[in-house]
Formats: sequence, structure tokens, C-alpha cells
Amino acid sequence: MIDVLNLKKTFDTIEALKGISFNIAQGECYGLLGPNGAGKTTTISIMSTLVEPNEGEINIAGIDLRTNPQECKKNIGVVTQELALYNELSAYDNLLFWGGLYDVPKPELIARIDQTMKLFGLFDRKNDKVKTYSGGMKRRINIASALLNKPKILFMDEPTVGIDPQSRNLIFEVVEKLRKEGMTIVYTTHYMEEAERLCDRIGIIDNGKIIAQGTLNELKTSGSMKESVVISFTNLTDAHHSSIANDWKDLLRFDDTLHFYTMDIQGDLSKIIMKCSNIGLDISKIDIKKINLETIFLSLTGKKLRDT
Amino acid sequence: MIQLIKKDLKLFFGNKQDWILTFILPIIFITLFSFVFGKMGGTDEDNLGGLVHVVAGTSVMMLLFSVAGIGGSLLDEKQDGMLKKLLCSPINPRHILYGKLVYANIISIVQLIIMFVYAWLFFGLDFIEHLPSVMLMILVIAYACSGFGVVLASFAKSRKQVQGYSTIVVLVMSSVGGSMVPLFMMPEIMQKLAVVSVNYWGIQGFYDIFLNLLPITDITFLSKVFALIGIGTFLNLVALRMFKRNILKMA
Repeated sequence: MIDVLNLKKTFDTIEALKGISFNIAQGECYGLLGPNGAGKTTTISIMSTLVEPNEGEINIAGIDLRTNPQECKKNIGVVTQELALYNELSAYDNLLFWGGLYDVPKPELIARIDQTMKLFGLFDRKNDKVKTYSGGMKRRINIASALLNKPKILFMDEPTVGIDPQSRNLIFEVVEKLRKEGMTIVYTTHYMEEAERLCDRIGIIDNGKIIAQGTLNELKTSGSMKESVVISFTNLTDAHHSSIANDWKDLLRFDDTLHFYTMDIQGDLSKIIMKCSNIGLDISKIDIKKINLETIFLSLTGKKLRDT
Repeated sequence: MIQLIKKDLKLFFGNKQDWILTFILPIIFITLFSFVFGKMGGTDEDNLGGLVHVVAGTSVMMLLFSVAGIGGSLLDEKQDGMLKKLLCSPINPRHILYGKLVYANIISIVQLIIMFVYAWLFFGLDFIEHLPSVMLMILVIAYACSGFGVVLASFAKSRKQVQGYSTIVVLVMSSVGGSMVPLFMMPEIMQKLAVVSVNYWGIQGFYDIFLNLLPITDITFLSKVFALIGIGTFLNLVALRMFKRNILKMA
């Protein structure tokens, strides 16, 4: 449904994209993750026809985006990060306006508006001005406005920023429903648990390049990622630490806590506990940290703050 | 494009503040100035001259403020992500600008008609007698001003900046063009400079209609009409270029 090949984009002297490639199948939810300034927004902006690339090929629903952007636009819906709504208009009038930009006959459009507002639980408030809505309700209407042309592909740029858990959950349910119905979704977020829950595949982008890509399981097994056993002690001394460090190289100490890193947690857990017990350490707490998307993301992109 | 115009009109009619700025404030100014300047002359002709000057000058000046606000709304839409979303839809990007220009024309025409109807009802400025000429003048003034807001917006980053620029530019244009003080009271150099402003041509056009009693076909009157069309075309072309270069620039 989406084929991107060797996409490059430079803004003045800044190389925002250095030749990225990926494919997304129909009905797939593809998560695009990356630190600030990594190239996510540029990628989404190019795919949603806002920015022209310098090089590369993009095919959207079988249409060459570079030669026929207008045709591509008919097949896409875009959920912007900003709440692109007219606060002084009612939710219904907002949807009538956004839906009216596409070639949808008015009776059909009105039916779709009612259906979409019911889907997002806002039908009863449809005639209220958007300015009276809560942040979560505005986010839902913002998404609803991108669905009225029944797009084949939906681009969602951080659609759940700053909203209540109930609204977030409803948005998740809608995304899952749309995916089941065959819509292709490209989803960017900073919330790793969202990507874990919603995305079939994930691409991690940094410094204008895709540095890892695959299903969550593929990402977990592709690198030399290690799980960790975090053990807190009541009587940890430097001598204890040295004794354990002789047997266990991949180890970090934080005050009364030791972090043991391993690629075989099932095999190593009993050995670690046995060793601690043998040297007289008194364990107060054990915490096992499995590999998740957040640890993968941080290990690939680093922990340095990106404020750009 | 019709969708865009309908949306802007809905927003306008749903916003009391816009109503006040577009219709009520100009009426207050016309009322105040008409009481002060419309009755100062020694003869009826002098009084009519004062009244025409007040109505025409104030209307054009307030109209420029209104269209500056319309330009500012474009920047609001850019800042709030609406423009981005519009550009992702299948509409032609130029239609976003054309929609704003047509909307600016509609609001300007309505604003000017209301001002003249008010001046007729409350101060006896009989424009019905000269209806075709007045309507032609209203249409060309609206056209001349329509691109002004977009041009201003293309030099600014936010609505607040547009408001700041518009206050300076409109007041300078209005004082140079004779909206505030009649041109004959100004130095010669100012009278020469006046030709660059919409206000000048608008006021002179209404003088031709009400004071010189020129028919619609008179070349002196039509020269003002053509000057306004020229200014409008120039501003609209600049607006189109600047809109593409500055406002549509998304990254």
C-alpha cells in the first residue's frame, strides 16, 4: 500500500532524510518512532504531500506521489498533531467543512458524519461549538475529521498527546477497528506502550535513517539486547560488590541495588540468587526488567536529550 | 473554494467581535466624525463635502482594518494546523487564497453598503440617486482592498504581528490618502504622495459622484475606477506570489 524507496530531503544545509526505505502492506499499522528531530515529521509530511522530497520514490495506494500528488490526496487521511479545528464552529460544522473538501455527495457525507460521531462517542454533542469541548473530545473530533473521505491510508501524527485515559482508550479501540477493516495506518508517537499495543510493525528512525525495523518480536531478537535483574539488598558492601563482579562482568551498582544484565534470564536468575546467598547478602527486593520497546528504543537512539 | 468561503462566512457570522469591528465600530466613527465635520461648513455644499469625506474616508480606512484581520486569520489557520490539513486535501492550494480574497470582497462590499445606508438614514447622504456609480465604486474599492490583508500576512508570523503592521500601514495610508484630513489642507508633497493609497482614489471617486455630480460614464470618474482596479490587481498578484512563497511554506 505504501512503498518508500531511498527517500532524501534536505532543508537548506540540514539533511533531514538520508535515504530511507520501507514498505507497508494493506491493513497494516506501521509505527514510526524516533527522537525529536530524527526525521519522523519530514517523512510523514512527504507521504501526506505537504513537502516535496529531493530524491527517492514513493508509491501511495499504487499511485506515484511525485507525479500525481492530487490523486494520492484522495486516498489519504491526515490526523495532524495540532488540533486543526475551528473552535467557533460546532463539531458538526467542522466535519461538514472538512468532509466537504472531498467529492462526497452531501447526503452520504451527512450519514458518514453521524456514523463517525457515534463511533467517537460525540453524537450527543455534535451541535456544540468545539471551543466547549475538552481536550480529549477535540482530539477525537480531530481524528474523525480525517476519516470522512474513507481513506485507504491514515497518517496519525501523535494523535493522543495530552488527553485523558478514557479518550486515549477509545482512540486505541477505533484504530484497532479501522485496521481490522483493512485501513493502512502510519502512526507516530512518543508513547512506547501505544506503539506496542497498536502497531504490527515498527520503524525506528534517527538522524534521517531507519536504524531498525520489524515486528516487536523481531526488534527484541535482532540486536544484542539484554534483560536485567535488579536486586536490592539490605547489607550490600564494596566487598560484596567486588566478589560478585569477579563472577559477573555485566553488572552495575546503584547504592544498595545491583543490576545484572543477561541474555538468558531463565538460566541465570537462579545462579545470581545462589551467588548472593553464598556471600551472605540479604535480598530485600527482586525486579526483572524484560526487553520492551522503550529499552530497545533507548538502546538504539541513546539517552541523550534531543531538544530540537 | 465555495466550501472555504462558506466556512469563513459561518465563522464571521458566529463571532460577535468580528461584527463589532466590521460594522459597529465604523458606524461609531462615522457618527462621531459626521457630527464634528459634517456640519462645519458655511454652505450646504460645504456640509455635504464634509459628510462625503467622513463617510468615504472612514469607510475605506475601517475596511482596510477589516481585510487586515482576514489576512491575520490565514496565519491563525497556519499556526493551528488547519492550513496543513487543507493542503493534504485534494483542493488546489491556490483556492485557499482565492477563497480568502472572495470572502474579503464579500465582507468589504457588505461593510461599505452598510456604511452608506447608515449615512443615508441618519445624515441624509442620498446615495440612492447615484446608486449605479456608488455600487461601482464600492465594488472596485472592495476589490482594491481584498489583497491587502494577505500581503500584510505574508510579512508577518502571527495575527498579533499583522495587527501591529496593519495599525501602522493603515494609519499612514489613511493620513496620506486623505481619510483623516482633507487633502487640500495638506502640503503639496503629501498631495502627490496620496496617489499611492486606496483611500485617495476611493475618496476622490465619491467626491466625483456626490460633489462633482459626474455620471458613471465620465472619464474623470472612470479614471478613479481604473486606478482602483489597477491597485487591486497589483495587490492580488503580490498576494498570490507571497502566499505561495511565505504562507504556504510548511517546513
